[in-house]
Amino acid sequence: MKPAPARVVRHQAARMLSSSVICLIALVLGGHPGAAHAAAAPQSKEAMTKAWRVIASLPDFWQGTWQSVSPIADDFPTPPDYTPSAMEYIKSYKPVEDSPFANCKPLGLPFVMNIGGMPMKFFQSPGMIALYIESSGMTRFIHTDGREHSDRPNPTYLGESIAHWEGETLVVDTTGFAQDTLFQLGKLDKKSLAQGDPSPLSGVIFGQHGPNLRLVERMHLTDFNTLEIQTSIYDDTVFKRPYTLAARRYIRGIERRNDPQEWACTDNRDYFDPTTGQLEYNVKDKAQSR
Amino acid sequence: MKHADWSRDLKLRSVVLVIAVLCCSSIAYAHHSFALFDRSRLITLSGTVREWKWANPHTWLSVVVRKADGTDEEWALVGSSPNMMARWGWNAADIKTGDKVMVDIHPARDGRTIGELHTVFLLDGKVLADPGGQTGEALAGGATNLPTKPQGVPYQ
Repeated sequence: MKPAPARVVRHQAARMLSSSVICLIALVLGGHPGAAHAAAAPQSKEAMTKAWRVIASLPDFWQGTWQSVSPIADDFPTPPDYTPSAMEYIKSYKPVEDSPFANCKPLGLPFVMNIGGMPMKFFQSPGMIALYIESSGMTRFIHTDGREHSDRPNPTYLGESIAHWEGETLVVDTTGFAQDTLFQLGKLDKKSLAQGDPSPLSGVIFGQHGPNLRLVERMHLTDFNTLEIQTSIYDDTVFKRPYTLAARRYIRGIERRNDPQEWACTDNRDYFDPTTGQLEYNVKDKAQSR
Repeated sequence: MKHADWSRDLKLRSVVLVIAVLCCSSIAYAHHSFALFDRSRLITLSGTVREWKWANPHTWLSVVVRKADGTDEEWALVGSSPNMMARWGWNAADIKTGDKVMVDIHPARDGRTIGELHTVFLLDGKVLADPGGQTGEALAGGATNLPTKPQGVPYQ
């Protein structure tokens, strides 16, 4: 290779220098995109127009609301490969008799997606999808701006969600869960249950998740009226290998009665005792604060 | 067995069957107790509304029932969440203190005067069915096939 003329070398050096200066400035200003305090600049009208156009081309999660038609309890289609401590826990587990969500305490993920009875509603804006879950009155904020997870997300009931599209499938990745979100780690054998038990929670094994619980949800439309969400659980305190649950289904409701409604939980007269699995009614003094 | 008793028994059985079928596919009992109430039984209370509380996570209907011996008994009846009920045609203003109502309920197993709302029959003929225990499809689809009169065993 011929030695480059001095001017070209100088030019290249200047270019390298200027690009490292830009990198340095970017680093000082905002660090990597995952940084909690990354600088956000207002977008130009042109950039926003382009972003809304991209949104218009995405699968239509947006019309109407989505009502769960899957059972509350998750099925575990294949036997999970549990850690020894999880095995130990399951062996001595006594199923709760009652509903652990009869009071105002938030359920959190993952179980908040299971409860149903009331619909969910997706909203989309450039860089973010919001998912309102009426049965908890909470909204998931799902970042689609290409950011990475925070290094140390603060624990919350809904965690920190980032997502991207893989073709027609929205892949949502969530970490940063509060320790007391409601977590189902398995299901008891049908044979061990009372016959004809009408509770949709029969056999559900609730328990603790680990501090590094991570969920990956794959959301896609199987047809215009059906949304399917398949969740994989990453938690090496419970499962030796990531576990993929049976897909959950939601049907679209367009009618006005299926509009999203407010959920403000204020009447805490039901008390669920988590140690006994018993629910008491009309005991305001014992009820948990919301 | 007298014919009337027999026919009522048969009717009750079919109601129980319907309820049992609903239960098994239900997703909407999420907020309810599974141990407290006996879903295989349906009784009908006739009384006067003392309180109607439209609140999350549950609505509460308190009804004073005058028993055959002339004494009053207060029943605390728990209903579904307001949002689910609104989708099934309920309105917070449908029921007021002092209203005369007939209510089909699932009673408590332990004999306390508490119960789970099943259907409310108002004096003006309006019938309100609690959506508890229904499938997601039924919840999104709205209330259909409402009974015109109470289906439970009259509580004396």
